[in-house]
Amino acid sequence: MFLNIIKTEWLKLKNYLTFWLLLLATAISYPGINAIVYYGYDESTKPKNQSGQLIKMLVGNPFHFPEVYHTTAFLSSFFTFIPAIVVIMLITNEYMFKTHRQNIIDGWQKKTFVWGKFISVVLVSLIVTLFYIAVATVLGYIATPDLDKVEVFAKAKYIPLFFLQIFTQLSFAFLLGLLFRKAFVAYGFFIFYGLIFENIAVAFLKLKIKQLGGVDYGQFLPLEISDRLIPVPAFIGRFNDTDYKIALESIDRHVIYSLVFILLTWFFSFYIFKKRDL
Amino acid sequence: MSVLQIHNLSKSYGKIKALNDVSFDVSSGSVFGLLGPNGSGKTTLLSIILDILGPDAGSYSWFGQPSTHVHRQHIGSLLETPNFYHYLSAVQNLRVTQSISQRGDEIAIENVLKTVNLYDRRNSRFSTYSLGMKQRLAIAAALLGNPKVLLLDEPTNGLDPVGIAEIRDLIKGLSAAGHTVIMASHLLDEVERICDHVAILKFGQLITSGPVQSVLADEDCYLLNANDQEVLASVMQNFPGISRVSKTTDGLECYFKIVDIAPESINQYCFTHDLVLSKLVQKKKRLEEKFFELTAQP
Repeated sequence: MFLNIIKTEWLKLKNYLTFWLLLLATAISYPGINAIVYYGYDESTKPKNQSGQLIKMLVGNPFHFPEVYHTTAFLSSFFTFIPAIVVIMLITNEYMFKTHRQNIIDGWQKKTFVWGKFISVVLVSLIVTLFYIAVATVLGYIATPDLDKVEVFAKAKYIPLFFLQIFTQLSFAFLLGLLFRKAFVAYGFFIFYGLIFENIAVAFLKLKIKQLGGVDYGQFLPLEISDRLIPVPAFIGRFNDTDYKIALESIDRHVIYSLVFILLTWFFSFYIFKKRDL
Repeated sequence: MSVLQIHNLSKSYGKIKALNDVSFDVSSGSVFGLLGPNGSGKTTLLSIILDILGPDAGSYSWFGQPSTHVHRQHIGSLLETPNFYHYLSAVQNLRVTQSISQRGDEIAIENVLKTVNLYDRRNSRFSTYSLGMKQRLAIAAALLGNPKVLLLDEPTNGLDPVGIAEIRDLIKGLSAAGHTVIMASHLLDEVERICDHVAILKFGQLITSGPVQSVLADEDCYLLNANDQEVLASVMQNFPGISRVSKTTDGLECYFKIVDIAPESINQYCFTHDLVLSKLVQKKKRLEEKFFELTAQP
């Protein structure tokens, strides 16, 4: 059954130019943001004078192995909104073309349809993770002066963390697409919520932490749950050591939260699609 | 054998009752027309039996079994509008249909595109098609893999007169080959030409169903009864202008070729043949009246 689902989803996507263009845009944005930051870092640490050395001392070597896997993951995650378009399109297109009905009429079960989307979102997440791995590895090789002295894969745990983060956030984007059915509404909501509302809410809840019994409820917000899988990289984190330590320690907890969030998201997706008239 | 059995289906959209306690059977090999004006519940009914709408009450069964997705794979369906991926070509879209329904193969895809005269444009994107071409592709998708049962909702929508005639011939051909065709339409004329059985819906209620000649008879019909039905039948056989008689439990149904026949003349005719009628009722309205009755607003 799963082979048939994958084949069918592939038939839907392989000749869809927009899909490939958006993946290309993601493929460009990752090296883009990382190269820009790397270039800035490289330029400001190059001078052999005092200021150059001072900056180097302050920020360390964010693009050296193994820290590069952390830094790149953090920087790349700013561009989740591009693969989010892909994922929202995957479902809103079906509503727009009414093919979500036709797929059922032609003999799929409703759950098969949602499984198809689940697999697609996993695949998009995998592709995007591959982009990130490529960027991190290439940058690491360029930036690390002495490869023999470093443990290249010491921080390779950010690879599965990156995948988990992107999959959690893309699952959320998918659920929005399924709920709103219209691409611009779903995407507008995703952008407004993700870039503006949730950041304000997280900051506000942190501010009111005392009134809320010392619990930081912000960490349970849909995107924040997985945002905290990849804390700020060491070169920023070192400016506030205690917070950085707490952030690193809470990663494991957020792995569990993210898995629960994924489970709930897809449970709702299956439930809504099954119960709602098509 | 029944291909489709519908038992007491009801469905409401808020206050509007789209279907109200509808029941009928579709037997194997028939061309079954679902007839009714716009908004009478035809598409709602078809949507329910294809499992994209849930009924509020009632049930249905395909091939004598509770419906599953496997049944839907074996039914070629066209519901309401042609639903395809706009960015894919006809062939690419049919590959998706093939993958989901498991009906047909590459050669079958080419063949159905030839059948609906879309072969020359098979590699053009769906978004570039005219309304008629989209409709042809939807029919091609329904025909893919030669399914035993076809379910067509307004199959001639958007087609030109030639296209309509082609689809009519196509359905007749399918019927001759033993396929069961269930089609919905608001075009009385079309249904009468193609179908052998009909069900008529109005405001979600089933008005009548049965063989097309008895439901939509474009002829006068009188229901007669006398003490001796056998004698009555043999006498009426020779009535000038009679087309046929058929015995029912209510009495003898007499169909007349002559329109607007006077009931007095029937009575007079029987009396001269020593028969006293105990019943003389005009049974069926003519097609046109039926149509107006059907489409009239309350």
